[in-house]
Order: sequence, then structure tokens, then C-alpha cells
Amino acid sequence: MQFLSSHPKYEYLRKKWISKHKNLSEKFLDKHGSSLKHVTLGGLSGLMLLTTPGVSVIPSQLPRDVGQSITATEDKNRLLSVELKKDVPEEVRTLTVEEEARITNILSTKFGFPVKAELEGIRLNRSYGLIGGEQHLYRFPGDNLFRHSDSASDWAMYGPAGIAPGLGAWGYFALSENEFSEKDKLKERYYIAVQTFLAPGFAENVGKYRDFFKYRKMLVINPKTGQAVVSVIGDAGPAEWTGKHLGGSPEVMHYLGLAKGVRKGPVLYFFIDDPEDKILLGQIIIKDNNLAEGGVI
Amino acid sequence: MRYFYSYLIEIESLIGALDELNLEENHKHNLAALIDSSLHYTILDAILSELSEEDKKSFLKRLSKEPESLGLMDFLNSRVDKIEDKIKSSAKQFKEQLHKEIKEARLR
Repeated sequence: MQFLSSHPKYEYLRKKWISKHKNLSEKFLDKHGSSLKHVTLGGLSGLMLLTTPGVSVIPSQLPRDVGQSITATEDKNRLLSVELKKDVPEEVRTLTVEEEARITNILSTKFGFPVKAELEGIRLNRSYGLIGGEQHLYRFPGDNLFRHSDSASDWAMYGPAGIAPGLGAWGYFALSENEFSEKDKLKERYYIAVQTFLAPGFAENVGKYRDFFKYRKMLVINPKTGQAVVSVIGDAGPAEWTGKHLGGSPEVMHYLGLAKGVRKGPVLYFFIDDPEDKILLGQIIIKDNNLAEGGVI
Repeated sequence: MRYFYSYLIEIESLIGALDELNLEENHKHNLAALIDSSLHYTILDAILSELSEEDKKSFLKRLSKEPESLGLMDFLNSRVDKIEDKIKSSAKQFKEQLHKEIKEARLR
């Protein structure tokens, strides 16, 4: 009896590409192996070694954002979640002013930069709420979903979220592909959508608030794990009827540890007071000296 | 993951072709990891084949610490004539092979 694969296309490519990879890695080591003596292969980021040909690919070391879901990160971020437990309520509700003050004080100390619930007299409707997964946004005229990926693994990880049919609240991130910068790229990569329209005073000051919120830097934290991301406000939403209070780009959700399953969970979110634009966007990890190290992957 | 040479290599067409296969999520991850690692070997081979032993060691040490740094490309440009063209050319050949194999897979 002949057994047929239920995934013939995948099996065909898997076998072909495992064999190709094995050949490439063996030839590479033959040719350049002596030069690699002082450098561990694991340190060459992105090179995998296959132990047995034909079996499932088991990478010896995967870059952190590739192919694996992010579980709780470094220990210090985990300790942060323990510290926050005293002040962050179990019920996902609006925080009191006192709770916000205690929490932002802890965060400012831990991360080494000012974290605030109110900035320039403006605050959002809340700073603790349910985040849901958003889609990618068109970044410039002619952009498409595939162009968002820096690598095939990027596509596998973040592509499935898709791309929103319309533009974000502030339109394209750049007016043309020529003008599209690395900074613009990171803004879309690490964007959040917040309910700007529910901010106290919004209706009376639409222009002022719209400009204030555009790409405003915010710290978003998963209080259960301490996973944290420096993000920018890139869109307005979600609608109140969704029951969610903010949205995160696929990358933001990934680094908060909320990219799998229902793609939803409670987070804290506060403004970062960074007038000189020094704080890097992306995942942020608390290191030994209690100062955070920002990551731009 | 982004590398110092990523800006030279267009993978949009490759991803688009793979996307049309409507693969399951874990299958996408497996194939994507193979593509990225194989491409990385291909590019590194193209680069190291042009460098002296001493330059290889400097390059590899720096690569292991800062794989994204554009300073690596500056280093290569100062050592090898038209290195960017060589990188693009080897990536192009690699992608052409993969495209051919994806076409064959569609017939399965």
C-alpha cells in the first residue's frame, strides 16, 4: 500500500531544501572551517546545523524573533511582573490616579526613562486595558504585505496577520518609497492603535490631540510576564464595541507574548517622555544594573 | 532577522511564490528557516571567498557581535572590489533555484 503525503508540496520542498542546506553547510565548513576556529557557529546568527539529514529541521540556534513564540523573557522582566502584581488589579479596569502614580514610578525606575500617564496635559481614556492583534499597515504608496518582511522567517512569523485594507489614522508613514526611511519602517513595525477619540478633551481639541498622538512613543507591558515593548501610536482604534482598548502590530503582540491563540490580553500602556527621541523602538529588556536595554531587531 | 546585507536582497518575489502554496503555519516556519539559513551560507561563502585569512577573522568576529551593522559592509567595500554586486549576484542565483523548485512543488 502506497502512503501518500497529505502535504505533497511541503514535503517536496522540505526534502529538497534540507538536502540543499546540508550541501551548503558542508561545503561552507570545508572551505572556511579553519577561519571559524575563533568564532562559534552559534555566534554567526542564522546559520543552522542539521544533525541528521532528512529529519525535521532543528536549528542549533534561532534568532530570537524567528520561528518560536516568545515566552517570558529575561529574569529581570519576570521580576518586574512580580513587583507590579501588588499594584495592578486582577480585574481589567481603569486604574486610579494613585495606582497610575505607583506603577509609573516603578516603570520609570526600572526602565531608566520617564514613563507617564499624562503628558503635556493630555492623557488617554485609560492606561490598563485589553490589547488585540492588529494587521500590518501600508507604509507608502505601492507597499504590499510581502515587502514588510526582512527575511523568510519574518514572513512566516508576521505575515499571517495580513495587511489592513485601509490606511492608518495618519495615512502612509512616508509619501513615497524613496522617502521611506528605516525610522518609518520601525514605526510601522512597532505600532499600536489606541482610542484617541475617547481621550478626555479630544472632541474639543481634535487638531491639537491628533498632532500630539501621531507617532507618540508609548511603553506597553504585559503585567503577567513583564514583557515590554517601546511602541508608537500609529493608528486610532479599536471601536468600543469590540471590547478591546488598544491594538498591537503583529510584532508588538509577539514581543508581549500575546501573538498566539486568541491574540488578546491585558496590558499596561503609558507615554514615554522622550523629547530627544533617544529611546529605541522594539522589545525592551531590564538588565542587571536595572537599566533597560532597548532592542531594535 | 535582519543582516548587514539585507538591504541588497529582495525576497518579496520568493515570499510571494511561497505564499501561493497556502502552507500550514508550522510548514511555513520550517521552510522559511531553511531559506534564511541557506541564503546566509550562500552570502557568507561569497564574501569569505574574497577575503584574506586575516580579513576573514576580523570580519567573522565582528559579524558574530553585530550581524546588522552596516559597518560590516563598509569594511567589505574597503577590501573587495564590487562586493555588493557579488553578494547580489550569488543571492540572485540562489533565489532562481528556489523559484524553480517552488514551481516544481506546485505540480505535486
